[in-house]
Amino acid sequence: MGKTVLIVDDSNTMRKIVSRALRQAGLDFDQILEAGDGQEALASLADNSVDVVLSDINMPNMNGLEFLKAKSEDPAIMDIPVVMISTETGADIIDEAKSYGAKGAVKKPFTPDLINDTLGPLL
Amino acid sequence: MEFANKIVQATEEIFGTMIFLDISPEQPLAVGKEVLDCHVSAMIGLSGDFSAMLSVHCAKPTSLAITGAMLGMEVEEIDADVKDALGEISNMLAGYLKDAFAEEDVALELSIPTAISGKSVTISSSPTKSNRVIIPFNLEQGRFFVEMKFSLG
Repeated sequence: MGKTVLIVDDSNTMRKIVSRALRQAGLDFDQILEAGDGQEALASLADNSVDVVLSDINMPNMNGLEFLKAKSEDPAIMDIPVVMISTETGADIIDEAKSYGAKGAVKKPFTPDLINDTLGPLL
Repeated sequence: MEFANKIVQATEEIFGTMIFLDISPEQPLAVGKEVLDCHVSAMIGLSGDFSAMLSVHCAKPTSLAITGAMLGMEVEEIDADVKDALGEISNMLAGYLKDAFAEEDVALELSIPTAISGKSVTISSSPTKSNRVIIPFNLEQGRFFVEMKFSLG
């Protein structure tokens, strides 16, 4: 059965760039789902079988940290690995993200190799 | 506070890593009122140990070229994708500056980026008399500008 990734970012452009970077990194997902904020991401996780999540932090409505916290409190989805992909990768923010279960972080701007190095071991 | 070099470094890294368009910076604008031939601007706020507004100003051809390169497709009109793409560039620029200043123990937080479009953008105050840095960058399709207005108080 193929793998499914959920890309969470309020920027449609960045979601497209991340999708392209996944292909360039050789990470061929059968299904790429998209969400524009944390609320949409939670809804997508409830409706789909997702193997890994790539999430921005700085988003309106529900930001990436709020999404992680909510996800960590739901037993049905709490074990799905999440990698943060954001301009915000300071130690304090990443420590908070990891406290809610984030498995790693990729800083924008990024290369496909960096995506592969961070995401590959989780698949 | 050294803004110009940080802005140039950030812009060159973003364009080299994720947009794949060749750019070359010019010297920061040093004269007074200048009408920049721009049709779309994206901006993002920074606050903390100082306050700033970082903006990216583009003429239509430049904005279409940048957006097309980011999306991997031809873009013909200034639409939501163009404003979104420039907003994301401003977001990455601000994130780079946040990290660069953090290394100097200057703490900053970022707002959510926003973008507007119109006939032209007028830069009406002198960079030498106000806390403002404007750096032009050259693309094959024309110039774009990265502007930072800041208050150290």
